[in-house]
Amino acid sequence: MTDHQQALAHFYRSHKRMPSYSELMRLWGYKTKSAVDYTLRKLTREGVVGKDKQGCIVPKKLYGEVRVLGIVEAGWPSPAEEELVDTMSLDEYLIENKEATYLLRVKGDSMVDAGIQQGDLVIVERTNSPKVGRIVIAEVDGEWTMKYLRQGKNGLYLEAANSAYKPIYPKEDLKVVAVVKGVIRKY
Amino acid sequence: MSPLSIRSFPRAILHIDGDAFFASCEQMQNPTLRGKPVITGLERGIASSVSYEAKARGVSRAMSLHVIRRICPDVIILPSDYELYSLMSIRMYDIVRRYTDAVEEYSIDECFAELTGLRRTLRMSYQQMAEAIKRDLDTELGVTFSAGLAPTKVLAKVASKWKKPSGLTIIPAREAHLYLAKMGVGKLWGIGHQTESYLASKGIRTALDFARADEEWIEKHLSKPYRSIWYELRGDVVFHLETEKKTAYKSISKTKTFTPPSSDKAFVFAQLSKNVENACIKARRYKQATSEIFAFIKTNDFRYHGMEIKLERTTSLPHMIVHALREPFEKVFRARTLYRSTGVVLVHLEPELHQPDLFGEIEATTRLYKVYEYVDKMSEKYGKHAVFLGSSFIAHKRGNHQDTRATLPSRRKVALKGETKRKRIAIPLIGEVA
Repeated sequence: MTDHQQALAHFYRSHKRMPSYSELMRLWGYKTKSAVDYTLRKLTREGVVGKDKQGCIVPKKLYGEVRVLGIVEAGWPSPAEEELVDTMSLDEYLIENKEATYLLRVKGDSMVDAGIQQGDLVIVERTNSPKVGRIVIAEVDGEWTMKYLRQGKNGLYLEAANSAYKPIYPKEDLKVVAVVKGVIRKY
Repeated sequence: MSPLSIRSFPRAILHIDGDAFFASCEQMQNPTLRGKPVITGLERGIASSVSYEAKARGVSRAMSLHVIRRICPDVIILPSDYELYSLMSIRMYDIVRRYTDAVEEYSIDECFAELTGLRRTLRMSYQQMAEAIKRDLDTELGVTFSAGLAPTKVLAKVASKWKKPSGLTIIPAREAHLYLAKMGVGKLWGIGHQTESYLASKGIRTALDFARADEEWIEKHLSKPYRSIWYELRGDVVFHLETEKKTAYKSISKTKTFTPPSSDKAFVFAQLSKNVENACIKARRYKQATSEIFAFIKTNDFRYHGMEIKLERTTSLPHMIVHALREPFEKVFRARTLYRSTGVVLVHLEPELHQPDLFGEIEATTRLYKVYEYVDKMSEKYGKHAVFLGSSFIAHKRGNHQDTRATLPSRRKVALKGETKRKRIAIPLIGEVA
């Protein structure tokens, strides 16, 4: 930071406003306003100060790289991007592994007690290592089936969330292809 | 046999190749298709992708559909769902990019990845990286890929082809000769029939014969691309990965077939007009323009009737081209003749400059470009062809196909709540689940 910039920053901090040209003459020890103007132009190019619509000098990066988020006149400054860095979109919230994510439309009521209804969209993630207890998508007789993955005495089986459906014990190995990560119901 | 090189991996290049990619994508999203002969390309009249089950029955790519139905009566023929294949393709590149930034998007189902120098950062051997990439791709995409790891692009191509489907072949430079000895020289990437027979006449039959050919002889008798292949086979990199996204084209062409064939002049012209619009959309996307246009109409007995036009200045605005095509079209179009397709090629594309032309026209052109800027914005929001030229109207209204070829991919038939006819969620919908 140059001496000029430091003096300007000091003035702004103590007076809570930017100096005028004549004040800058005194502040920087210049004899003419054109010398002030010359330095101001330089600081403008460097992004330290700027000019508003009326041509008044306004602070920008007066204190180095820290950004001044607008001049506080009354209340809070308008929301700045900096404040939104720690937020996520609905996409990011619903989808963890983008490349492995697919949608399926729900048919029937076998998972109704788990809150999944006919017509819902389920967000699923393809995986090789589904955990017991999760709602999974398995391939049974050439069709997709969505059930809880359970561990029984004789290995893994599938259980519906509706007492009207019987558990599915696979004849051969169970082909689980994905786990359910979310449900979408749009009204 | 002495090796071609004493090194193993001076560079490490991985080539990834989807196994019957389009057909596999269809089998991935519809489990009832697993283990069955499936082909895609219903709308084209020829097979664009053939599942391994169909290959086993003697079906091959580019075979016409009625031949396929004869040799494999239980074949399942599907319309191409390019939206699905494109979504899956982007996922393929992105998964590979988890391991390296240097990825060349070679085609919709193929890519190259440079792994050189990543052993320490990833704490993996080259083989482990290749295995991890293949494992991620296979599990997360639900379709299999064949991978080849080698020190050059040409050798990586040899490797990925070596074991298909779902193979992983690793060829260090010093073992290359063992693979090349078992491979015909014509099977190499970049060597066509002509070169193959020329080489055969010189006694070069296997890829190894070629790699062992004398450097002086190669320099003297072959052109640069083939000399490059020779170096690459010996483990020296000539072809570097092109990791930059394509930013410009030399030419853009758009062709569409319609069924049944038509002798309706207005319809054929509307088809041509629609192709011009499509070509211009692409040109504008890459900020390119041309003054040279070649167009054709193709009769039902596959005869081409071409039209060439040269405009006074470059453009990417379809109505200017369509207008200029009207007169030549009138000349080549024959009444009572059936036409099956039309096409247009924008040649010698240049960067789009709104050059000052005749006085008064500058402003008019600038204003038109503004109009198309909004046309493109509307397409972005509401889907392609949300706004189109009146000259293309009949082609849009009637659609390209009236017969079974008009069958839409399954995803086009279901609309989720909030989706429109032209816009769908960018995540594959893989059917219904009970």
